[in-house]
Amino acid sequence: MANVLWLQGGACSGNTMSFLCAEEPTAVDLVTDFGINVLWHPSLGFELGEQAKQICMDCATGKTPLDIFVFEGTVIQAPNGTGRYNLFAGRPMMDWVRELAAQAQIVVALGDCACWGGIPATAPNPSDSIGLQYLKRENGGFLGANFRSKMGLPVVNIPGCPAHPDWVVQILVAIATGRAGDLALDELGRPQTFFKSFTQTGCTRVQFFEYKQSSVEFGQGTRTGCLFYELGCRGPVTRSSCNRILWNRQSSKTRAGMPCIGCTEPEFPHFDLMPGTVFKTQKISGSVPKEVPYGTDHVTYMAHSAAARVAAPQWTKEDLFVV
Amino acid sequence: MATKDMVISPVGRVEGDLDVRVTIEDNVVVNAWTEAAMFRGFEIILRGKDPQAGLIVTPRICGICGGSHLYKSAYALDTAWRTELPPNAILIRNIAQAAETMLSIPRWFYALFAIDLTNKKYARAKGYDEVVRRFAPFVGTGYERGVAISNKPAEVYAMFGGQWPHSSFMIPGGVMCAPTLAEVSRSIAILDQWRDQWLESDWLGCSIDRWLENETWDDVMAWMEENDRQYNSDCGVFIRFAQEIGLDTYGRGVGNFLATGTFFNHHEYNHPTIEGRNAALISRSGIYENGNYHDFDQANVREDHTHSFFKGTGELHPFDGVTDPVDPADGRKQDKYTWAKAPRYIIPGKGSTPVEVGPLARQMMAGKPNAADWQESDNLFRSAVESSGPNILLRALARMHEAPKYYKMARKWLDEINLHDRFYTKPVEHASGKGFGSTEAARGALSDWIVLEGGKIANYQVITPTAWNIGPRDGKNVNGPMEQAFIGAEIADMSDPVEIGHVARSFDSCLVCTVHAYDGKTGKELAQYRVNGSG
Repeated sequence: MANVLWLQGGACSGNTMSFLCAEEPTAVDLVTDFGINVLWHPSLGFELGEQAKQICMDCATGKTPLDIFVFEGTVIQAPNGTGRYNLFAGRPMMDWVRELAAQAQIVVALGDCACWGGIPATAPNPSDSIGLQYLKRENGGFLGANFRSKMGLPVVNIPGCPAHPDWVVQILVAIATGRAGDLALDELGRPQTFFKSFTQTGCTRVQFFEYKQSSVEFGQGTRTGCLFYELGCRGPVTRSSCNRILWNRQSSKTRAGMPCIGCTEPEFPHFDLMPGTVFKTQKISGSVPKEVPYGTDHVTYMAHSAAARVAAPQWTKEDLFVV
Repeated sequence: MATKDMVISPVGRVEGDLDVRVTIEDNVVVNAWTEAAMFRGFEIILRGKDPQAGLIVTPRICGICGGSHLYKSAYALDTAWRTELPPNAILIRNIAQAAETMLSIPRWFYALFAIDLTNKKYARAKGYDEVVRRFAPFVGTGYERGVAISNKPAEVYAMFGGQWPHSSFMIPGGVMCAPTLAEVSRSIAILDQWRDQWLESDWLGCSIDRWLENETWDDVMAWMEENDRQYNSDCGVFIRFAQEIGLDTYGRGVGNFLATGTFFNHHEYNHPTIEGRNAALISRSGIYENGNYHDFDQANVREDHTHSFFKGTGELHPFDGVTDPVDPADGRKQDKYTWAKAPRYIIPGKGSTPVEVGPLARQMMAGKPNAADWQESDNLFRSAVESSGPNILLRALARMHEAPKYYKMARKWLDEINLHDRFYTKPVEHASGKGFGSTEAARGALSDWIVLEGGKIANYQVITPTAWNIGPRDGKNVNGPMEQAFIGAEIADMSDPVEIGHVARSFDSCLVCTVHAYDGKTGKELAQYRVNGSG
């Protein structure tokens, strides 16, 4: 049995909607079979009326033991650090977050917004939004770099815009079944089990990447090639398991022909969406990708590319994903 | 004035996002205010950004309608860049939009709307035990099935978009995907499971074609009595219980409806323009006002921010729209009370008018005469509204009525995809231009206005269905549609005015909202209700 309180700040509820798509286990299974006791959630469960505030208050004061505090959305600090752009139960949400985080055994930041600020924190950040323990890649965030929950853990970051349903439910199950100690977190507070591998790991286009063969345009153009070279795909530089644990049990963005937009990394949306950066690979002197695959450098990359292109078999220049 | 004091009274709120305050006198609601309590500033973020930034940013406005946001922002760019859309691209966009709404229908009904019917207040109603057995949260037989089955259409979306929610696979000129036989046949199989394992078996108790034979409310009543399966279907149980507890008697609203329409004929909108939009729509646009239909023209849309937490007062067309926030604490002093702007439509001869959007509005447009043979044409809800007036039951049932219709359309579009043809035509990225894109999200009209200058976004304005419905008073102090829908509701038990909750829920706003009920004479707070939001 684990008490869960789930609140939303500067959120679109996309992580909740994603969570509801989980099947192993389902959101309903979590409650009925796995002992997850959802004390309160903004979109689910029963009418609570005045009790809702009381439930939050009882958690905030420690009267009700709070095992897991899930926060979705940014912490909104505007205007002028008052938090009045986001009120909850008559007071700024950021005040609730501070109190609840201090009482929780484990704090889970769900989705980019809660992890690093996400889209609302994109320049000029009109709501002065910030993540729980990070603002973009900078450690600190709303709770501070030194924050540790009662169990001694930093904020557990489950990023993604939205987070994949399995990432959420499996972490909740792990915590509820006493396996929190098994969670290895990376330097950004992400569970390594989901965020050690790359988005590219398991991508159906990886053979084209190997031989440096590019998709040249969308639609019919994605019947062949890799989306990294021209169309801005961030699969080789993004940590996620999108191509290992498929979305909606069917596919992934890169499989369907959409470039990875790097939404599990703190810089999302990348380049602050400035003109010329959307769905276009950023290049040096018109040909070499500005960002090369993780762990390599431009000189090595270019040498590798040249060799790979020479080695490319004829089939890599033809359509593979055909009718 | 007691009511005014209540608006600014610092009475403790239970929940964020949307607060609804109503005043009750002599058991009747006499006034109402809707207050959205959170602001992120997406329109401000989009200024100065890449022209295509809206494809990534706007779906994140709302997690339940993300696919609808993508759909209309892609069409806004199509009109601004004057693209060419292959028929396949139009079909796949249609399928994805329909899939998102098909997901939303059971998720909304079972997880958000019907749990209310199990309120103990109705314990003495004849149908109560059966309603609890089916619709009780988490354990109700219908609840569990309904929530699980809502994942199926998301799988169809993922087949083309890679994932749901929050894909950005629609782009000016078409779609990013080029599906193969597998994606199409699996989509057909999944949709058929959705139909077989929920829509026909549980919800209707009959074939979708039998249900769609209903042309009037009398037909619906006769359908229910036709056999036990239909009588005892979730739909049959819901209609009978709704009538027993009087959901067909209140929640009228403003009585004016607007739909911007959605889904395009794949041979009629290959060169998208703002002017050519109405004629190419399958689910038609329009305004219904006092028995009259008017054509929809985006030029007649205004947003009034007199009572919203933005600088100044008055109304603007979205192309000229401004999003300049003020501190709510200062805004309160200027009679501002919400983060939502108040969208209005200028009806010829009538001026700026609040209008209801959503499934009922769409079905009113389906009843508009002179449809082309490929356009949605269906008189059921027009005839029902014209005989009884709008109400909570009709609003809920209009949404459910779309389940069989959207299934049939999506199946047909899947059959029409030509896998050997193009899915995308690379557009010229014009540095400047103006675009308008719109769709019908599950909960109503959703539109973008984009202004491009110098290769970047100069202005971007979004009007959501929630804003149309839950927006505040305007500069003339005319109530927004949901505010108006509360007024006149008769409250049986003053200490437990559950009727207000039903009205709020029937609009399916994207916001979680809390209803605060006050006694109009004493100013005393009577009760608070939390209304589950979906996104």
